[in-house]
Amino acid sequence: MRLPRLFRTTPFRLTLLFLALFAAAASAFLAYIYLATAGEATRRTDEDIGREMRALMAAYERGGVNVLNQSLIERAASERPFLYLLMTKDGKQISGSIAESPVEDFNGAPARASFSVTDIDVNGRARKHPARGFQEQLRGGEILFVGADVSDDQAYVLKIIRALWGAGALVIVLGLLGGLLVSRNVSRSMAGLADVVTAVRNGDLEARADVRGTRDEFDELAAGLNEMLDRLERSMAGHRHAGDAIAHDLRSPLTRLRARLETAYLDVEAGKGNAEEALGQALEDTDGVLKTFGAVLSIARLQAAGQAPDQAMFDPAELGGDMAELYEPVCEDKGLDFAAEFAADLQVRGNREFLAQALANILDNAVKYTPAGGAIMLRVRRRSSGEVEYSITDTGPGVPDEDRERVVERFVRLENSRSEPGSGLGLSLVAAVAEAHGGRLELAEGPGKVGEMGPGLRVALILPRAA
Amino acid sequence: MRILIVEDDLEAAEVMDRGLTEAGHECTRAADGEDGLAAARGPGEFDVMIVDRMMPRMDGVTMVQTIRREGDQTPVLFLSALGEINDRVEGLKAGGDDYLVKPYAFAELIARVEALSRRRETGSVQTRLRVGELEMDLIGRAVHRQGKEIDLQPREFQLLEFMMRHAGQSVTRTMLLEKVWEYHFDPQTNVIDVHISRLRSKIDKGFDKPMLQTVRGAGYRLDP
Repeated sequence: MRLPRLFRTTPFRLTLLFLALFAAAASAFLAYIYLATAGEATRRTDEDIGREMRALMAAYERGGVNVLNQSLIERAASERPFLYLLMTKDGKQISGSIAESPVEDFNGAPARASFSVTDIDVNGRARKHPARGFQEQLRGGEILFVGADVSDDQAYVLKIIRALWGAGALVIVLGLLGGLLVSRNVSRSMAGLADVVTAVRNGDLEARADVRGTRDEFDELAAGLNEMLDRLERSMAGHRHAGDAIAHDLRSPLTRLRARLETAYLDVEAGKGNAEEALGQALEDTDGVLKTFGAVLSIARLQAAGQAPDQAMFDPAELGGDMAELYEPVCEDKGLDFAAEFAADLQVRGNREFLAQALANILDNAVKYTPAGGAIMLRVRRRSSGEVEYSITDTGPGVPDEDRERVVERFVRLENSRSEPGSGLGLSLVAAVAEAHGGRLELAEGPGKVGEMGPGLRVALILPRAA
Repeated sequence: MRILIVEDDLEAAEVMDRGLTEAGHECTRAADGEDGLAAARGPGEFDVMIVDRMMPRMDGVTMVQTIRREGDQTPVLFLSALGEINDRVEGLKAGGDDYLVKPYAFAELIARVEALSRRRETGSVQTRLRVGELEMDLIGRAVHRQGKEIDLQPREFQLLEFMMRHAGQSVTRTMLLEKVWEYHFDPQTNVIDVHISRLRSKIDKGFDKPMLQTVRGAGYRLDP
């Protein structure tokens, strides 16, 4: 049989365990109380019996057996709670309230005995009462027994024990109820979390646990679970997006390549075209596809990882210097002024290779779109916010305000740039690199219009302050 | 040159074998890391090993780590479909001498293989390099051609040094960016070409015979 759900929960089981422990402790406690009270009651009874015995012995000392007998008869007739028996030397009753001594094999030494007396109650029913008593031999050889009914004492002890049992039972019931209540609360919290886990397992990545704001460990667990799911969801979305993007990004250049090869094949077959030229063109196209693939893969991996791998501290001016050294001749070759300016003593944390690739992409664009006679400037500086900024400013045609966000998207190429070679992935990769460093990419207008030139473009790659 | 090709993609191995053989090299093939290990341990001496990173039975990294532990210092070129920077670093740490990402241009493979074979000869520290009329003093940082001093910028000096160390071999643009500038990215514009043409104008201008050649579809070559 399956227990109801609540009874199978850990908190409930813990409650039961604690109750069992409590019950064991309570039993030990009860046993101790019983022994203590019962012992005390017996001791008191014994004292009373002893006192009575001494009083009777005193009577005997005063007036011998007759006075004792007298005293005994009087006492037995009174309301005193004692049982008496005066016997001759050989155990025959002289007087007393019981017929026979409960002491067996009496040898003259003082003895004690536990026994029971039978009483007839008001309803005529015989009831046995527990009793105990002492027996001593008097100097004249007569034997005196004094006993007492101890049923009242025992009843008292039993009453205490019953009270204790009652209290114990109450505690157990209350404990059980409390346990159930706590278990239900805890179970409800756990069930909430379990529901989320089940939902996620069944493919619903959007399921989230309730955070009640109690800031207890369940809230913390729920918040942690939610955060984990957020990350997982982002990462999954990144992967899915990356997969879609790669499929999309490669399909068009591959389609173009296929069409070109097919045309070339048909031309060569018809004796019109030149196979060598077609193959050369196809190779070039393939390299283009591979380049695109590489860029798409880099972007996808950066986005999926969320963080650039192998980051280290380095001086941004050093990387800037390398890039300036690499691109200065290219600018000169194209008739562009090139200037570089680096702030000293800066540190950034990042992946030098990815950042180099990003800067190269920005510089490639600047060189590509700035007409001869223009200028390009590379700067590394610290912003007042503590962030480190690489900026590349050119005096090319720039990007209109409304297009600045769009050009960062993949494969977006503005109308007037379609004639230039390029994949349309350059700035997307820069943005992905910036994000993978916890930074961002900012596009702004360049120095403005100067004659035919301008207004130019200012591309800033901003990296967070190194921790 | 004797080359060991360790590659589980038989077609790719076949293409490599054919191309390298045509280029005048002698190739031995192994289909996975364990075969490669056996071949490397075998009696044949190799000048260069081309090792694919991901293979069944034993991957390339394990294979190269094993032969390096055994004291085999044969230059290794890793081939990999993994192009990330950390993959490259891992490959080089495992004892690879160079790393080429698939797919690659065949000219790139040949250039890198031939560049690797040279590494072994530079055991002693050289202070002077000489290629034909060109002379480089590595300590004095001076370059002369036909006794005439040529004034070079530091990077041009490094570029020429690399070309002189690999004189007679094709070197690709990617190789130059990697070995001279020590960057592994992929420039869209012809940055390397511009640097080469600057260097060319300094070492060849005014002399009757051009030494710095452009190799179509591959890169550049410094001829004596």
